[in-house]
Amino acid sequence: MKKRVTIIDYGMGNILSVKNAIDYLGYKNQVTNDYKIIRNSELLILPGVGSFRDAMREIKKFEIDKAIKESVNKKGKILGICLGMQLLALSSVEDGNCKGIGLVPGKIVKLESIIKKKIPHIGFNSIKTDYFKGLFNGLEKNNFFYFVHSYFFLPQKTKQFKFSYCEYGKKFVSSYESSNICGTQFHPEKSQSNGLKLIKNFLK
Amino acid sequence: MLKKRLIFTLLVDGDNFVLSRNFNLQKVGDINWLLDNYNFSNVSNFIDELVVLNIRNKKKNFNNFCKILKKITKKIFIPIAAGGGINSVSDVKKLLRSGADKIVLNSMILEENQELIKIYKYIGKQSIIGSLDVKLLNKTYFVYNNNKNINQSELSEIFDKKKLNYIGEIYLNSIDKDGTGQGYDFQMLKNIKKNEIPIILAGGVGNWRHLLSGLENKKINAAATANLLNFIGNGFENARNNLFDKCDLAKW
Repeated sequence: MKKRVTIIDYGMGNILSVKNAIDYLGYKNQVTNDYKIIRNSELLILPGVGSFRDAMREIKKFEIDKAIKESVNKKGKILGICLGMQLLALSSVEDGNCKGIGLVPGKIVKLESIIKKKIPHIGFNSIKTDYFKGLFNGLEKNNFFYFVHSYFFLPQKTKQFKFSYCEYGKKFVSSYESSNICGTQFHPEKSQSNGLKLIKNFLK
Repeated sequence: MLKKRLIFTLLVDGDNFVLSRNFNLQKVGDINWLLDNYNFSNVSNFIDELVVLNIRNKKKNFNNFCKILKKITKKIFIPIAAGGGINSVSDVKKLLRSGADKIVLNSMILEENQELIKIYKYIGKQSIIGSLDVKLLNKTYFVYNNNKNINQSELSEIFDKKKLNYIGEIYLNSIDKDGTGQGYDFQMLKNIKKNEIPIILAGGVGNWRHLLSGLENKKINAAATANLLNFIGNGFENARNNLFDKCDLAKW
């Protein structure tokens, strides 16, 4: 039987779009901010659009950070999408320094600090990786995904995570994945059949 | 490499999808027509992004618009921008809970009030498209404010005066070319000197060659059309196939 997916709702983000994709893939799911439900879930998705600081305030309010860590410690899997991917990092420079959930070693910085191109980075861009076993299983060709962001994830040295990269003026991290902690800067739920494949890979 | 985008815009008036010509509206069909006869979920495979606009009696129809948006977005997995009648953060939340990923603001970006700043703080500029309806009068391009029915300011002034602090993208729509099928108005692009954020060009597309001319323009990041009937059937599929050979679009 397919496991139930928990979509974490802290009041920010394109929740219905994420839910639509999970529905389409045939997984039962729940949209919630409930501490106990999140803590006991084996499959978590952390969506998000908007400000890092505001998001962390809401996450702390509902103790979602604690609940996520408890689930992950029990080998629960989590996928952070866009702001959700950034929130799992150690910190962000957005509106001054702000601490994140802290599961992934790295920080969030402004694209404009490294890139002299139009910002936000908006549209379909291809990713580069040599790891096609986890999230990108079966996505060796035409692996375009939809990006819309002004900040990006700058990793610290780690052996725990594998990264994919995207190029827009410069190269930056477009996703990270360990055995149970994953994040994508792009929106798989908005990336046509490629994105659905990636979400399916995560849920498997 | 980042690709340019092909964008389809749906105009919603009450319960109907409409064609617009110079901002005069003509009913085409309702949501059932769009999903069944128009086969919209198939159409969505051949576009990069969808814009859905609530264009008349916006306040009265806002909740109904959200219901329609929910039905449109249920089985398509592309970026959705929605707008028309947004006055507050709570309106933005309603749209995000109805399947939108980004929002489109129109008159609000010209007025720059407190609500705009609140919305900006809530969703971030990367998810705000500022829509400018542009009209040519005595050789000068003006931005028309649909709410107040006036020409609010000169287009060049908007680009010069940093009025665009709170938006991540511009949807530049020519009222004169709207629905004519004569092609885009490239003259208005001369008003854009500094080009710091992505620009979506709209108004005037009659066929795929017009889309190509938009996508080939260096100032333009995305080519949009709201012409419901010119790309009916496998119109977008054919257009995208034609465009693939000639310009840079994503593949999946």
